[in-house]
Amino acid sequence: MDDVAEKIIAILRKNMRHPEKEIALDTKLADLEIESLDLAVIVFDIEDTFGIQIPYNANEEMADFATVGSVVDKVTTVLVSQNASGAAA
Amino acid sequence: MSERNCGRRVAITGTGVVSALGTGVEKFWSAIKAGENGIAPIAGFPLQDLYITIGGEVRDFDARDLCKSRGAQLSDPFTQYAVAAAWEAVRQSGLEGPLGERAACIVGSGAGGVTTQEKAYEDIFVHKKKATHPLTLLKTIISSSPAHISIEHGIKGPVFGTVSACSTAAHAIGLAFQMIRSGMMDVAVAGASEAPLNYGCMRAWQAMRVLSPEGCYPFAKRRNGTVIAEGAGILLLEDLEHARARGATVLGEVLGFGMTSDAADMVNPDIEGPTRAMQIALDDAKLSPADIDYLNAHGTATAANDINETRAIRKVFGAHADSLAVSSTKSMHGHCLGAGGGVEAVVCVQAMRDGFIPATIGLDEPGEGCDLDYVPREGRYRALGYTMSNSFAFGGLNAVLVFGSAIN
Repeated sequence: MDDVAEKIIAILRKNMRHPEKEIALDTKLADLEIESLDLAVIVFDIEDTFGIQIPYNANEEMADFATVGSVVDKVTTVLVSQNASGAAA
Repeated sequence: MSERNCGRRVAITGTGVVSALGTGVEKFWSAIKAGENGIAPIAGFPLQDLYITIGGEVRDFDARDLCKSRGAQLSDPFTQYAVAAAWEAVRQSGLEGPLGERAACIVGSGAGGVTTQEKAYEDIFVHKKKATHPLTLLKTIISSSPAHISIEHGIKGPVFGTVSACSTAAHAIGLAFQMIRSGMMDVAVAGASEAPLNYGCMRAWQAMRVLSPEGCYPFAKRRNGTVIAEGAGILLLEDLEHARARGATVLGEVLGFGMTSDAADMVNPDIEGPTRAMQIALDDAKLSPADIDYLNAHGTATAANDINETRAIRKVFGAHADSLAVSSTKSMHGHCLGAGGGVEAVVCVQAMRDGFIPATIGLDEPGEGCDLDYVPREGRYRALGYTMSNSFAFGGLNAVLVFGSAIN
């Protein structure tokens, strides 16, 4: 598991009702009892930790937030594109 | 006593307090009886350039112990205090949730989550953060307190907050009283909370030039302003027959409620508005002035309030004013703003249960025109049948409650 994944899992645990639950990349966020308001706090925490902005709307079903792995992929993508645009500037 | 105002009698079966004198009614009341002073140098946040550096801070409070749900534990302190005081009142009443559709929750606050809001603005304007914390809005709104209380106790009737600065709690209790008396509700959690102690809020108060840098000395010659404080005061109100049917211990009764407005000035009180509020509350309770044994005054220790309130009391109580015990417990717990009337309602209930009139501490020499019996320095043991609590707010918003002891 890479650094991004480890940081994201730590953020998830910090905001979970039952942080002792097992978390793998294929774990669904719904199985972790993470609800929309919790997710808003988690996205905030992720943005703060990585210094990025993640498009997220609690009104919409978002595939990016289905599993732990999809969140890691999303953050990694945003980080890469941010670095790329930074390099180009 | 027969039915009042063709309605049902309204019992008090639970009380809850969070204050600078302690969390929990037992601790609070023993401090009141001992004449302790809860006002101290502020330690909860960096004072920076403030020149007003004292307040009534809540010190012995852990939301993880006193609030049940995770949401309430993560809420702004003003909501945590309200939830904790509500739990104490509900537990004391012996009622077990869910309280259901015949229960109301009217719990207000003068200002709401000002510390949460301050942090959010600091994040945006100072730290240039990209977003505020996602819970900022839910933690800031004043209705966060009644909402969380309704969730914790399954209250499914009317749930909302009142907002009327220093009369907030008295308005909440008065409305809940009317709902139960009229038969609309059987049970209500009512009162208010406040958590105004942060840098920005203190700067705003400081700018109004109404705070004392030294202490809260109501009705005293040396009084030079009020001292703001945190806290919550909650009553559990219940239809008396409902309480009797389940064998509950009745702590006292709410008998009357009067509310008026000066409609004149944001800060300068007039005599007519408070006078009328006290008179309406007495009439509502079907009592005469001479029936009142103790009056918990608004008594803020500002120059304007104390003399105005004294004159209004004289107008309402006439000859009885000279034998009426009047005290301001703000001298001990500070001015809890919106929560004041709730904290002081608990004082009235405890005073009747214990047969003890609390003192106005720090009252060495009375101020000019302050010529009532303010129970200076030390409290007194005396059987009390009926008590009154005054709340007079900025904007001239007046709310007065009359309580009766459990044996009346």
